[in-house]
Amino acid sequence: MASVHESLYFNPMMTNGVVHANVFGIKDWVTPYKISVLALLYEMTTSKIALQEKRRLNKLILPLQQGPDLTLGQFLKTVEDCCPQTAFAVKIRLNEMADGELKDMEFFFTTLPNPTFDSEAYKTSVVGLFIRHMLLAYNKLSFSQVYKLYKSLQHYCHVYDTKPGDGQMEVPTFVGDESDMDLTSTEVTIGDKMERELDSPLLVSELRNEDPVSRGPLSQKQAEYFLAKQAYLLKNDDNKALRPAALQEELNNMLKFNPDFAEAHYLNYLNSMRVQDIYISTHSLLHYFDRLILSGSEGKSNGDEGYGRSLRYAALNLASLHCRFGHYQLADLALQEAIRIAQESNDHVCLQHCLSWLYTLEQMKGSDSSVLTEDSVKMAAHFCLPYLASLGIQSLVQQGAVQGKSAHELMDALKDTDILHWKHSLSELIEISLAQTISIWRMYGKSTMAQQQAQLLLNMSSLEPVNFGVTQNNTEAFAVALCHLAELHAEQGLYGGTTEIFKHLKEQFPPHTQHAKLWMLCDLKIQFEKHMNDGKYHLAQPLVPAIRAQNKTEGLYRKAQVLKSLSRTTEAYRILQKLQVHCEKTRCTETIIRVLLSTAELHWESSDFSTGLPLLLQALTLSRKHHLQALASRTLLHLAFTQLMLGVPEQALSVLHEALEPILAHGGIMDKGRALMLAARCQMALVATRPNGREQAAVAIHTLDEAASYFSTLNCKERLRDVRYLQARLHGSLGQTAQRNRCAMLFHLLDRELQTPRAPTDMRL
Amino acid sequence: MAALCSEFGDLVQIKKQLISVILLCKERGLVHSVKWASELAFALDPLPKDELPPSHLVSEEDVQDLDAFALAKSYFDLKEYDRAAYFLRGCHSKKAYFLYMYSRYLSGEKKKDDETVDSLGPLEKGQVRNEALRELRVELSKKHRAGELDGFTLYLYGVVLRKLDLLKEAVEVFVEATHTLPLHWGAWLELCNLVTNIEMLKSLSLPSCWIKDFFMAHIYTELQMIPGALQKYQSLIEAGFSKSTYIISQIAVAYHNIRDIDQALALFNELREQDPYRIENMDTFSNLLYVKSMKPELSYLAHNLVEIDKYRVETCCVIGNYYSLRSQHEKAALYFQRALKLNPRCLGAWTLMGHEYMEMKNTSAAIQAYRHAIEVNKRDYRAWYGLGQTYEILKMPFYCLYYYRKAHQLRPNDSRMLVALGECYEKLSQQVEAKKCYWRAFSVGDVEKMALLKLAKLQEQLTETDEAAQSYIIYIQEIFSCGEQLEHVEVSTALRYLGQYYFKNKLYDEASLCAQRCCDYNDAREEGKALLRQISQVRDQTETPSGELFVSLSDNNTPIKRVSPLNLSSFTP
Repeated sequence: MASVHESLYFNPMMTNGVVHANVFGIKDWVTPYKISVLALLYEMTTSKIALQEKRRLNKLILPLQQGPDLTLGQFLKTVEDCCPQTAFAVKIRLNEMADGELKDMEFFFTTLPNPTFDSEAYKTSVVGLFIRHMLLAYNKLSFSQVYKLYKSLQHYCHVYDTKPGDGQMEVPTFVGDESDMDLTSTEVTIGDKMERELDSPLLVSELRNEDPVSRGPLSQKQAEYFLAKQAYLLKNDDNKALRPAALQEELNNMLKFNPDFAEAHYLNYLNSMRVQDIYISTHSLLHYFDRLILSGSEGKSNGDEGYGRSLRYAALNLASLHCRFGHYQLADLALQEAIRIAQESNDHVCLQHCLSWLYTLEQMKGSDSSVLTEDSVKMAAHFCLPYLASLGIQSLVQQGAVQGKSAHELMDALKDTDILHWKHSLSELIEISLAQTISIWRMYGKSTMAQQQAQLLLNMSSLEPVNFGVTQNNTEAFAVALCHLAELHAEQGLYGGTTEIFKHLKEQFPPHTQHAKLWMLCDLKIQFEKHMNDGKYHLAQPLVPAIRAQNKTEGLYRKAQVLKSLSRTTEAYRILQKLQVHCEKTRCTETIIRVLLSTAELHWESSDFSTGLPLLLQALTLSRKHHLQALASRTLLHLAFTQLMLGVPEQALSVLHEALEPILAHGGIMDKGRALMLAARCQMALVATRPNGREQAAVAIHTLDEAASYFSTLNCKERLRDVRYLQARLHGSLGQTAQRNRCAMLFHLLDRELQTPRAPTDMRL
Repeated sequence: MAALCSEFGDLVQIKKQLISVILLCKERGLVHSVKWASELAFALDPLPKDELPPSHLVSEEDVQDLDAFALAKSYFDLKEYDRAAYFLRGCHSKKAYFLYMYSRYLSGEKKKDDETVDSLGPLEKGQVRNEALRELRVELSKKHRAGELDGFTLYLYGVVLRKLDLLKEAVEVFVEATHTLPLHWGAWLELCNLVTNIEMLKSLSLPSCWIKDFFMAHIYTELQMIPGALQKYQSLIEAGFSKSTYIISQIAVAYHNIRDIDQALALFNELREQDPYRIENMDTFSNLLYVKSMKPELSYLAHNLVEIDKYRVETCCVIGNYYSLRSQHEKAALYFQRALKLNPRCLGAWTLMGHEYMEMKNTSAAIQAYRHAIEVNKRDYRAWYGLGQTYEILKMPFYCLYYYRKAHQLRPNDSRMLVALGECYEKLSQQVEAKKCYWRAFSVGDVEKMALLKLAKLQEQLTETDEAAQSYIIYIQEIFSCGEQLEHVEVSTALRYLGQYYFKNKLYDEASLCAQRCCDYNDAREEGKALLRQISQVRDQTETPSGELFVSLSDNNTPIKRVSPLNLSSFTP
């Protein structure tokens, strides 16, 4: 707190209640580090350096100039890596100044290269500007300031001299670590050192924080650079940004030195959003806008307009903040406020932003907002806001897909937006569009297309310029694409690939980040499926609460499935009924179909095949209406099975043939196996009735072989056992004793391994 | 209370102690403590000559250092701290050692203040610090461990720790300092600044000395526990300190904090009579005059203070208030700025400046000023409230909720924030929350008497007729019980509603009573008469049943009853 007061001593320049951050309008100040950079530049212009080394040094200049102040050790190390000879010369020159007198430093400034004589230090070049800035800043210093600068230069050099190994040992990081240095310097004796060690760690850290040398003071420009870099990293790949705690500390530090630095508050807001801290993020956001309102009114001639604008966006940002934290009612209120102010001041652009937030909010609340969205798209197109327009279209497409609009309409719309994106190079939206296509293909059950689109997205190089060596790959679109890819792999039984993908996801989207929930749910679902396929229900069961925590509907569905498998039919039935009602309300078609299928399966358990039929037909209609091919094929499988059980294998086989093709083309490996096995069983049932019975049986054996290969890739032993049993019987009926015995043996081995009594084959698909 | 009286029984003893501590502090250059103790000593009866404590207790060491100390003290008084420290470096007496350390500390502070003016860049300005602090801490902590510190050096050690933001350690050291030398007010005052809540206060073990009562009273004021503070001060006055200007000013400030304006004004006037050249606390006085809109008094005060010393923060604040009251807001803002230049830590000036900018409709500057106030002290509820008001003026009711909530958090029992919150909720059509706020505002003691009225109107809107009637009744009771009839319009609104309400519920007696009361007010007279006519019409139709009611009605109509409508509530359904 104290430091804040002190900073206020410093504002004789207060006009109109506004304290200007830069009293003299100079953004650069001479610091010892800057002097060393100047010394380097001086050496570079005066001495002869080999071309290659010169090139390396040239590359170094900009980062050195713009980066934060380094300690001398770090600085010299960096230079040494490029050109040892120059580093030595710089060191000598600095030491000359530090060990000499004040006049040595003054002399140095007078001998600085005259900006006009050399091509590199040309007046308007980066180097020339820097030198001129420094000279100007130096000349403005008062007597005591010059002396102070000299003192700090001496300190700067001596710290390095007393611990020269420092530079070699540590990597040049942002935070220098010289904190202990001046504590332990001359006047502090060994006794005090012990005392410091005895003190609580809290105390030591506190002292460290206070130490002025521990952080190089950031000049305005350096601070801006730091903020810009961190903000960019937060946006694009927050794993590479500073850890939340470290960043917070850095920002606090910066604000302590310069409480007027409003942008730091905004970064603070972003940072606390990362860790889901609503308290600090609200506080920082409001603080930022309080500050912004000032700067807005100050610079513009039409002052009123200047801060009115930021007021509107302040309210809008507050709405988005509440939306992020799921406080929909508060978000709604804030949004209404933003809309009202925007309307009052006729700010159509802001209104447009508000509108797009409004439909997003409606969507999140779960109500239908397509009318709003359509309006928004129209208005956005009218005001030439391509970003908002195509965002609106994408949102419409998403709603359309859920409501069962025809596929070509959706794809057309997406294609149109894509044209818009490429025209305006909106790379973020291109990614979203691709991710959406993936999801749509997946929903329609076209796994190959989905896979292809996912690869397209993942291999696409971003349009955005690559800054700080980071490409943008932490967006939701990437997370969605990767999750789909993982699921596709799992469907094909490629669990190794799935694990790899999840490993990547975990690195890219650590659990505390915003999009982590996506892969968490996906991971749980895959594990659950795997355990269910393996028949390890006791392993699947504990996953249910975890799934439920992520997604309530999905959790309930999974719970019903586990209960069904454990033959707790009544409970399962009750849950499925509840789920169906709920999904009909929320119009979640996919889940409805899956619930219908599960309910039909429940009926089978009680050998009540005919009751399931209407349910299956309903499911079939629904899935056809919504173009959900995968689910339609699965429904057909169920239908065929029912028919087989009802004793019409011929019908069953014809129905099955309809489904077999899409399943083999797009379906998961489990579905493929099940379809083939069902086909074989139909063929078996027909063996007796057909004249060419033996051939039929041979075909059936072959089909079963194929099914067996699928099941064995999944390592689904239960089903494999069934297959072997059927094969043994077929071989037996054909009189092929050797083969029969082989199959029987395989069956016996599996049976012993599984130890669970075999469920009656007829009863399940 | 009994214990207190017995402790204060020996005022002569206290006076002796005060005189001796004044001497000790004076020797060590602790001017503020000297001032406080002297003020207190002045309030007590003078001692006879033979009872005066011996002026010097000279030890062997003191004699050795006598000359060096005298020299250093003279330099110290002339603010040449380094020079003083130089001549004291070889001394061994405790007195000299304290002055030595204290000079070094002050020298560091002085340099720090000078440095801030020419630092090397705006970003360095927060980094300027008293470089001497760390060395002082090391030396003092060594001595502290060896137990060689006396009360004064302990106090200095505490100050050094506090400046290094080692607050926990600082509190411990200050407590120790009060035990070693209870009479040194400076240590108590520092402790007061470090104690943030009542739990922390209770956990401290403080020496039981008469001075502790002063401390408790002071800290109660700081922690906004005004009734406790007032009680303490009252007992101190009873114990014999009735003439102390310090106590009078403290009581006045306490009354100001609980917004008991008349009491506070009376006390400040008394204070100015006793101590006409006093500048301290006069800004508070001017705030009170401002609230009461007492222009001539404020003008007199301002001119008087300018004559005494025009370059004091308090003077500038008073002048600012003066201009503000005369609606010359630019000038007011200018004077608040001047106050801030004199002392940027002056919290009140930032907030007041914010208010001025609000008056000038310069919202952005107002926001800036309030933000500064918050930066100086996060717990300044007025600044948060001001920010809320600013955004309310900008018609952003949702946005200002946050600020009002902050203010409310800091002053949970202040009805103004609650009413402001309620208004915001009402604007956002969150009636349930708004009702809660208004009701709470009434429950904590409504200052402006508006909460109930707003509540009633809200309930009226929501067609909760019974609740609205109830609220109006309590509102009228409140207004009449406090004796002043401030808002005639609003009382008439309430009466009008109640009249209609009773009429609808066929409670004609009450209705006619209300209608008659309505006739007392200009704006409701016609409606009152109309209602009376309606009532009599209905009565004629339905033939009043018994004469008993007539009696009670005529009773009610007597002028004596009319003064107080308190008994209305007894008729409510």
